[in-house]
Amino acid sequence: MASVSLSEAEKVYIVHGVQEDLRVDGRGCEDYRCVEVETDVVSNTSGSARVKLGHTDILVGVKAEMGTPKLEKPDEGYLEFFVDCSANATPEFEGRGGDDLGTEIANTLYRIFNNKSSVDLKSLCISPREHCWILYVDVLLLECDGNLFDTICIAVKAALFNTRIPRVRVLEDEEGSKDIELSDDPYDCIRLSVENVPCIVTLCKIGYRHVVDATLQEEACSLASLLVSVTSTGVVTCMRKVGKGSLDPESIFEMMETGKRVGKVLHASLQSVLHKEESLGPKRQKVGFLG
Amino acid sequence: MPGDHRRIRGPEESQPPQLYAADEDEAPAARDPTRLRPVYARAGLLSQAKGSAYLEAGGTKVLCAVSGPRQAEGSERGGGPAGAGGEAPAALRGRLLCDFRRAPFAGRRRRAPPGGGEERELALALQEALEPAVRLGRYPRAQLEVSALLLEDGGSALAAALTAAALALADAGVEMYDLVVGCGLSRTPEPAPTWLLDPTRLEEEHAAAGLTVALMPVLNQVAGLLGSGEGGPTESWAEAVRLGLEGCQRLYPVLQQCLVRAARRRGAAAPS
Repeated sequence: MASVSLSEAEKVYIVHGVQEDLRVDGRGCEDYRCVEVETDVVSNTSGSARVKLGHTDILVGVKAEMGTPKLEKPDEGYLEFFVDCSANATPEFEGRGGDDLGTEIANTLYRIFNNKSSVDLKSLCISPREHCWILYVDVLLLECDGNLFDTICIAVKAALFNTRIPRVRVLEDEEGSKDIELSDDPYDCIRLSVENVPCIVTLCKIGYRHVVDATLQEEACSLASLLVSVTSTGVVTCMRKVGKGSLDPESIFEMMETGKRVGKVLHASLQSVLHKEESLGPKRQKVGFLG
Repeated sequence: MPGDHRRIRGPEESQPPQLYAADEDEAPAARDPTRLRPVYARAGLLSQAKGSAYLEAGGTKVLCAVSGPRQAEGSERGGGPAGAGGEAPAALRGRLLCDFRRAPFAGRRRRAPPGGGEERELALALQEALEPAVRLGRYPRAQLEVSALLLEDGGSALAAALTAAALALADAGVEMYDLVVGCGLSRTPEPAPTWLLDPTRLEEEHAAAGLTVALMPVLNQVAGLLGSGEGGPTESWAEAVRLGLEGCQRLYPVLQQCLVRAARRRGAAAPS
């Protein structure tokens, strides 16, 4: 992860401020920074999204390809995640340096989506045991300023909302050979329902309190964090302790409650923003990377 | 004599026959949700490792070895203000490198090493759970290598590996604040979801959610937590964490005994 060196005085300043519910940029302990979400930024993908949270910049592209379903689940499609930490984010990621962080994030994403209710995988099936849709979700880390997991999950959710999978039909011949037919209309696609896709909330323990959406400096003052993945109804799908410190059991319970509360609010605002962007239609002004 | 692969072509991929077997609906038997399987733990069994431990809980068998401290690669970093208690400054602190491996015959299907993402994830989970317990500041510019090998997966493999790793570190004489005890849990699917402590492999396969908790019993601090699945609302997860912590506390005396026995064995073997 990108690191920043802080002096002892700066750490003390941040820790004491957090005890009083006052962070360096004036937020409260449960406030997120300003989030910018834009979908459909890359034209070659089935769906894409770019999310900027403070200085953390994430670009996600989803490509839908046809393949064979897994043996244990013959009537479902699946998702494959790949996270690439670009060397633009910090010089430590040059060459193979970012691989460890990339595998960690990808494994967390697999864990979050590893249950039946997150994404309706049965809708990705074309014909059982033979063909299914595989969604390759590729995450690109452009800039890193703390709170990577939250931003990545928001971007993945926005990209899945934007994904348009072409409608195919399986035609059976008299001899029994199957043929796949793509519909002629390029706008005839199936959309995924992202109602139950969870969002990650990372809570960093600083001193006696915990903060949501920590910047790089605040992460340097925190020894342990709890990563909670919450759906819009408050159901928790994944929980993980991150960092080299330990947590008190009571603070874990408090952090879970805060995560649930904050997660619900995050979901509500993300849904409203995504729907508003979609309602602007194809004539909306694309900001892209110049804004 | 090796088979003639050029003329006799076998299939590229092979699967175990159980995949094609008729659906035997063997649901796991109902049992007391708070029962812990009897544990056999032994420390100090490998001659070449600095410290080692073997843990067996039900069908799960884990072997863990610790080597080091030895010089860390890339350890030319400047110092900073020293920490409390004569510890090295943050830039010079020691490192803990963890490796988790599954034997190819550990699970139902043969998995050729390297196992890929899952083993990396569990190795990271091991490292994050053991770091709070080890006094890395006392080993400046050094690294400790912990390698866990899962010989057979009978349920709650990560929890067993955590416990074995902590025992091996203690056996190696590494300075620690406390032992780390791991406990696994799983949640039965609807209807009537309940959290079961120390699940067997069958219960884990039928589970809707799983959780592994690592606790430092004397300090009462949670060193590691990893859970996923359809666990329901936060109250359900909180209940599971409490159950897991209780299970860890119950396991602690067994591990203390094991370390005492290992120390006695070592004392008897060395000439006084």
